[in-house]
Amino acid sequence: MLPRENSGSLDFDRRAEIVIKISEFEIPPVQDVLLVGKKAPVGPEAVRRMVDAVSPEQYEVVEVDHDIFEAIVIKKSLLKLIPKEKLLPLIMEEGSRIADEQMVMKAQVRISIHVRRAVTF
Amino acid sequence: MLSIRHLLSEKLYTIPSSASVRLAAAIMEQHHIGCLPVVDEGKLVGIITSRDIRRSHPNRLVADAMTKKVITIRPSASLWEAYNLLLQHQIERLVVADGGTVLGVITKAQVVAEFGKYIDPLTTLYRAEIFYQRAVELLEGGYEIAIIFLDIDNFGLINKEYGHVYGDIILRRTAEILKTVVDIKQDTLCRYAGDEFAIVTTRSLAKAKELAETIISAVAQEKWPCPVTITLSAGISGGRRSSLRNLTENPGYIIKHLVNMASLASAKAKKLNTPIFVADTIELRASPFNCCERILG
Repeated sequence: MLPRENSGSLDFDRRAEIVIKISEFEIPPVQDVLLVGKKAPVGPEAVRRMVDAVSPEQYEVVEVDHDIFEAIVIKKSLLKLIPKEKLLPLIMEEGSRIADEQMVMKAQVRISIHVRRAVTF
Repeated sequence: MLSIRHLLSEKLYTIPSSASVRLAAAIMEQHHIGCLPVVDEGKLVGIITSRDIRRSHPNRLVADAMTKKVITIRPSASLWEAYNLLLQHQIERLVVADGGTVLGVITKAQVVAEFGKYIDPLTTLYRAEIFYQRAVELLEGGYEIAIIFLDIDNFGLINKEYGHVYGDIILRRTAEILKTVVDIKQDTLCRYAGDEFAIVTTRSLAKAKELAETIISAVAQEKWPCPVTITLSAGISGGRRSSLRNLTENPGYIIKHLVNMASLASAKAKKLNTPIFVADTIELRASPFNCCERILG
């Protein structure tokens, strides 16, 4: 039974509705790549401290000279598949189409290596 | 007197790199200061200025907003060094640190204001204090120096004949001529006193003599606003670096004697009716007074 309040001649109810959504916190929360805008609320050092705390040694923070982004945080395992000199310009190019300096963007990157080899016998 | 130590305020505010830009801004606003040295575990790691704060999101860590390259200066450094550092790096502030310990921050405005006390208001040349400071720094830096002492011939008579207002015009104009002739990279010029000017230079004694000749010639060719001929007499002395290395006296003492030698050489030039008289280079193992005696003959 909810308490009833009197305010002059009007009666009214006050209700609280609680909705709880529970899901698993992703470790690491960064996924594959984080693009840090130049005026974003977090900077490269803060991101570095965060990823070092939650996923030590798994990410590399690369400070970049770019119009929009100040740094890119990238999963080191991706860089085993493709050199960062090839990968980072692609990610920045795509990221800069939708981001601005104040944003921190996360990206999922899937890399498939296709190999065709021929052998003589 | 001319060290930057006395420009330091008693209270020092610093901030760790893990603090937020928001906190840094609040501290700076509360204490009316324009920057905070960033110190982690007693070590200076950066500086955050009001400019850094304007460009950064307040939620950021100071580590992500600060300027990492910090120009520091020792508390015993001279105003001259501070002024040159500020100009060289085109910055507004210097962090004063002694052996890694931050002692405070001095601003360009403070240095310029303090420096202004050592500028002669009539000629806008440095006063003798700056000259002495610079000479000592050069000597301590292992430079071979020469001192040129210049005075205007018969200036007292010009004052009496035409009045002090005219005398002031001559002093100002002479200073202008001197400024155009000296090279600030190697010469430090001052109004020593009254109608006397002095230059400490890293030029060799021979080159210093050439500079004095150029100055005397430039003054002689100047068109003055009254029918009088203005001439200068110059005395030159020099300090030899090889001798200075073995010296036990303090550099300030040596400079005073080099100036004295140059001033006596200038008097000698007047007496001999020659524009320039070059004293010997100082023999520092002997008494400086002996050198003076040699000049006076």
